[in-house]
Amino acid sequence: MLFPIRLLAVLATSLFLPLASAEHTNNWAVLVGTSRFWFNYRHLSNVLSMYRTVKRLGIPDSQIILMLPDDMACNPRNAFPGTVYSNSNRAMDLYGDNIEVDYRGYEVTVENFIRLLTDRVGDEMPRSKRLLTDDKSNILIYMTGHGGNEFLKFQDAEEIGAWDLADAFQQMWEKKRYHEILFMIDTCQANTMFSRLYSPNIIATGSSELDQSSYSHHADNDVGVAVIDRYTYYNLEFLENQVKDLSSQKTVGDLFDSYDISKIHSNPGMRYDLFPGGADVARSRLITDFFGNIQNVEVDQKENGALEEELLELGRTIAMLRQKEADELNQYNNATSVPASQPTEPVKHIRGATALTEDNWWTKKVVGATALAGCVGLWALGSFLET
Amino acid sequence: MAPPPSGPTQEDTASSAAASESPAPAAPAIKAPPPETPTAIRRRSYIVLSFWLLVVFLGLPFWWKTTTIYRADLPLDRMLEWADGKACRPAIPIQIAVHADSLQEEEANHLVRLAQHAIDDLNDFSGHHLRLQLAPRQDRPRESEQNPNSALSIHLKPGDATTAALDPYRAALDITYPLNSVPPLHSASSMLTTYIATELRSTFAEEQSIVSYLLSSSPTSKPAGLSPAVVEALEKRATRALRYAPTYHLTFSLFTDGPAPTTWDIDTAINEYMKPLLDVLGPIHNFTIDTQVQLYATPGVQSQTLTKDDLASFINAAEWPLSPSIGGAPTINFLTFIGNQTIGFPDSEGQTSQSWMIPQWGTVYLLSQPDTNSHVTKDALRQPMLTFGGHLLTLLGTPQSGSLPLRLSSLSRIRSADLLLRASDALGSLARLSRSLPSIAIPRNVADGVAKSIRHLEEACAGLGSSEALYHARIAEEEAERAFFEKSMVGQLYFPDEHKIAVYLPLLGPVTVPLVMGAIKEIKRLLQARKQRAQEAKDKKSQ
Repeated sequence: MLFPIRLLAVLATSLFLPLASAEHTNNWAVLVGTSRFWFNYRHLSNVLSMYRTVKRLGIPDSQIILMLPDDMACNPRNAFPGTVYSNSNRAMDLYGDNIEVDYRGYEVTVENFIRLLTDRVGDEMPRSKRLLTDDKSNILIYMTGHGGNEFLKFQDAEEIGAWDLADAFQQMWEKKRYHEILFMIDTCQANTMFSRLYSPNIIATGSSELDQSSYSHHADNDVGVAVIDRYTYYNLEFLENQVKDLSSQKTVGDLFDSYDISKIHSNPGMRYDLFPGGADVARSRLITDFFGNIQNVEVDQKENGALEEELLELGRTIAMLRQKEADELNQYNNATSVPASQPTEPVKHIRGATALTEDNWWTKKVVGATALAGCVGLWALGSFLET
Repeated sequence: MAPPPSGPTQEDTASSAAASESPAPAAPAIKAPPPETPTAIRRRSYIVLSFWLLVVFLGLPFWWKTTTIYRADLPLDRMLEWADGKACRPAIPIQIAVHADSLQEEEANHLVRLAQHAIDDLNDFSGHHLRLQLAPRQDRPRESEQNPNSALSIHLKPGDATTAALDPYRAALDITYPLNSVPPLHSASSMLTTYIATELRSTFAEEQSIVSYLLSSSPTSKPAGLSPAVVEALEKRATRALRYAPTYHLTFSLFTDGPAPTTWDIDTAINEYMKPLLDVLGPIHNFTIDTQVQLYATPGVQSQTLTKDDLASFINAAEWPLSPSIGGAPTINFLTFIGNQTIGFPDSEGQTSQSWMIPQWGTVYLLSQPDTNSHVTKDALRQPMLTFGGHLLTLLGTPQSGSLPLRLSSLSRIRSADLLLRASDALGSLARLSRSLPSIAIPRNVADGVAKSIRHLEEACAGLGSSEALYHARIAEEEAERAFFEKSMVGQLYFPDEHKIAVYLPLLGPVTVPLVMGAIKEIKRLLQARKQRAQEAKDKKSQ
């Protein structure tokens, strides 16, 4: 009896193995600060510190979407122009000389954030400002700003609700735009922001519970304002000290265990129930699965050389043959088959003023003419009555 | 009983209130305002009524019309059918032309029929099946060569033994057979037909497994009889290959950690070593190319011997400008790094390598060169370019086995099946989305896009395996994606009730209060008037 069961177990594991080994191939980070003005210096430095960390762990700028609503480095009240520090020892300038802000100033809006997540953008949007993820992408989403019960304020002008965020994530999941998400938020009552999420494969964590504030860590007397928030500070402390490079084996669970309520002064929350396998699986994910950019490279073996030579020869011969074939075909008949990729033909440009859209052109003309005729009639009537 | 003197005005509480508010005690006798004329009363009721009519018949419809979200009609059921694989059962017929000029017509026909039977017996996967066809005789060579829909042609030639060889330059399989192995006209099977069947099957084995893997990862999945090892290989292929795009951007970069070399013969090298390959890929993809040279570029890892872990972080993503974001096409990076680092293998001693591939990203090639050399010649670039060419095929998802023409034609078939599934999937996502978010706006061009996508999907599904399938599948996928990612289908969808009150109250509050109050007063007055009339009638009766 034991044998068949064991056999079954082996079969089962071999069947489920491919599913379990399904992995991500690229990493993305969306780092969002949502507050403006000098006294919110710490929110900007929170975001920039996170930016430094993910960059240090290998996520290229093209895969980091950085949203900064204000430019603290160039603020006239900044005693250290051109720099942003997250610590009063001012050991590291976060601004540096190599920083790529994707959305800045008034571009940081709720609408743009949702557009970014759902990729509903126009053709004019450059690739560097889009979240070009697929079903094999892990995404780190970090947000900080001023928030409240189930909302986060954007620039004192508008707010994003927990429902909107949840719907955006669901749309991403529906379109297979992520593999796994680590959602991290540092704001007052932060844990309420992820309470409405309902899409799978998301680990969420926040700085404080309902009716709890999220506090700043310390102020720099020369800068004159608080420079970093507590929750972010202790996250960074862990990441800097424990996750030195990409080979680190620290897990998300280790990070969450490092949170000390007496230091953070609020109760950080975690949410695992959306993750298949629950808390255990979620906690066993590596930090570098979200903060780093792991690539499974494939090294070539030496003997492949000969094969490629052959390939080149083949390519050349085939090109020649194709050419010959096409020439012959052209001679015989001009039958056209639909090519898979049609060469872009030069479009004839109409010079001068052209309407942007051609639809309803006649209707519009008629409406315009009627309106004009009406005006003339009114004028004629008016002058007739007057006399 | 006579009505009280202030009878008519009492009904009009507004005027009586005004009267009571006036400094009445100063005057010795309350001077009542003159009684309202019945016409004034009637006019007032008309005014109240007309305001209400305006609000109900003009205001409300206007508000309703302007605040409803436009949702174009989508063929939701049809879209879901596509997503669930009910609308189309993807089956790739592969036409194989058999050239058997050395045989008699009847014999050849019989042979083809028998071989087809043998193939059908071997095949257990309905999504991909081979169809043999006897090609017209060589007397009219033009037609036999030009049939664009045949994926492979078999050339049967008499010889000493049964052998098979793939023609490296064409999608053709040359089979020689001993004369005695031709099946006689009434035999049920023969060695030769079985041989042809197994040869064909092994030629198309990889394509078939890829297609069945593709189909099984969609909801139509049937338990495909693939061994775990094969599945793993297919899984690897899926993670390696880039997503289909009609155009790719190739970036050739030369990085060096010192001041030299500063120039390279990249133009001639590309023309010489890459161009032929890109030309053959032409029917499937377009390519754009740019090149760059970067001096003093420090790699992410400094050690002399690179381990496999080092290779992953060798690319200095923070500092190297590797994503040009030119145009809308995804970038494939081919990077040549001038350096004398070596790649160390922990398990196999003495083996070295110069290059490695990063899935879905590109290739890095380590080129060692004396420091004094300030120019990289075409010959030095030969090996890197050939490696890049091989990797390009892999990154595009080309099958590994078979001759190049065959690999390319199967790539085009695989991609069309892939695009077909992707497009159906996008349609399904859109349908589910529009059901789950009832407050999302759906503009008309989304419906147009969906219709167009479905039309092309139908054509692609019908012509799967032919050369037009890729074209249709591509348009279908493009349209479906554009419909899903429609720019105007965004915005905050959830408004809490507090927000609604906060928006409407300041606007509608001041307007509705007089309206409602006026209505109440009018109704009160009417009721009182009716009561009075009843009373009067009663009084009359009693008199």
